[in-house]
Amino acid sequence: MLEEVGFVDVAIGPPVDTFGGANGEANARAFEVYGYAFRARKPRT
Amino acid sequence: MTDPMLIDADQLRAEVRDKYRHVALAPAAEHHFHTGRRHAALHGDDQAHVGALPDRAVESFAGVANPFSLAPLEPGACVVDVGSGAGFDSFVAAHHVGFAGRVTGVDMTPEMLAKSRATRELLDLPHVEFREGFAEALPVDDASADVVISNGVFNLCPDKRAAFDEVFRILRPGGILQFADIANGRDVPDDALRNIDLWTG
Repeated sequence: MLEEVGFVDVAIGPPVDTFGGANGEANARAFEVYGYAFRARKPRT
Repeated sequence: MTDPMLIDADQLRAEVRDKYRHVALAPAAEHHFHTGRRHAALHGDDQAHVGALPDRAVESFAGVANPFSLAPLEPGACVVDVGSGAGFDSFVAAHHVGFAGRVTGVDMTPEMLAKSRATRELLDLPHVEFREGFAEALPVDDASADVVISNGVFNLCPDKRAAFDEVFRILRPGGILQFADIANGRDVPDDALRNIDLWTG
């Protein structure tokens, strides 16, 4: 979606088990949900 | 993009606002996600800086990863924090950009805005401000931001394309979007997407 909007140079960091040990862990595990860092750039022109 | 017809956008917004009102007022209560200093440490946030922040700046932090992990912000940058909550990531960004930079947090939950604004006064950060608004209609001028950050917010937007279009609008050419959010490795069926409780918990 980021590229559809027009962003370029999209980068994604490693997964983070952000729900591990939290009350939402079961739902997160069911859908393999993890946190990620993303970075993208708006073109100069 | 999630089909906006799958859920009632206004109802989702109300549920999200209610959830994060509770996080603002009772950060140590049971939530479906972790909050606070230990959670920030899990994400590898700069502990030297985070440790110096008062509890009220960190206790309601409920991010999902570290938006600064892929690159630090440049000193002097003009930053917009989409869904700034109680202000944790905005205060980290303010540390990165220094007093030559500027940080504008945008949030839709009055209790979060009250908390972030009071903390900003406590920390005496004149280059930080918080505005009321939605991710899909940011109260920010076109092409005015060097960097847009966010943490765990876009996944709560019923129309993610509209939110990313807004980010694109407010970034200057060459500007950077760096954010943290959740992503699922397994397809979520339509009946689950229609379950508003799963969006917020």
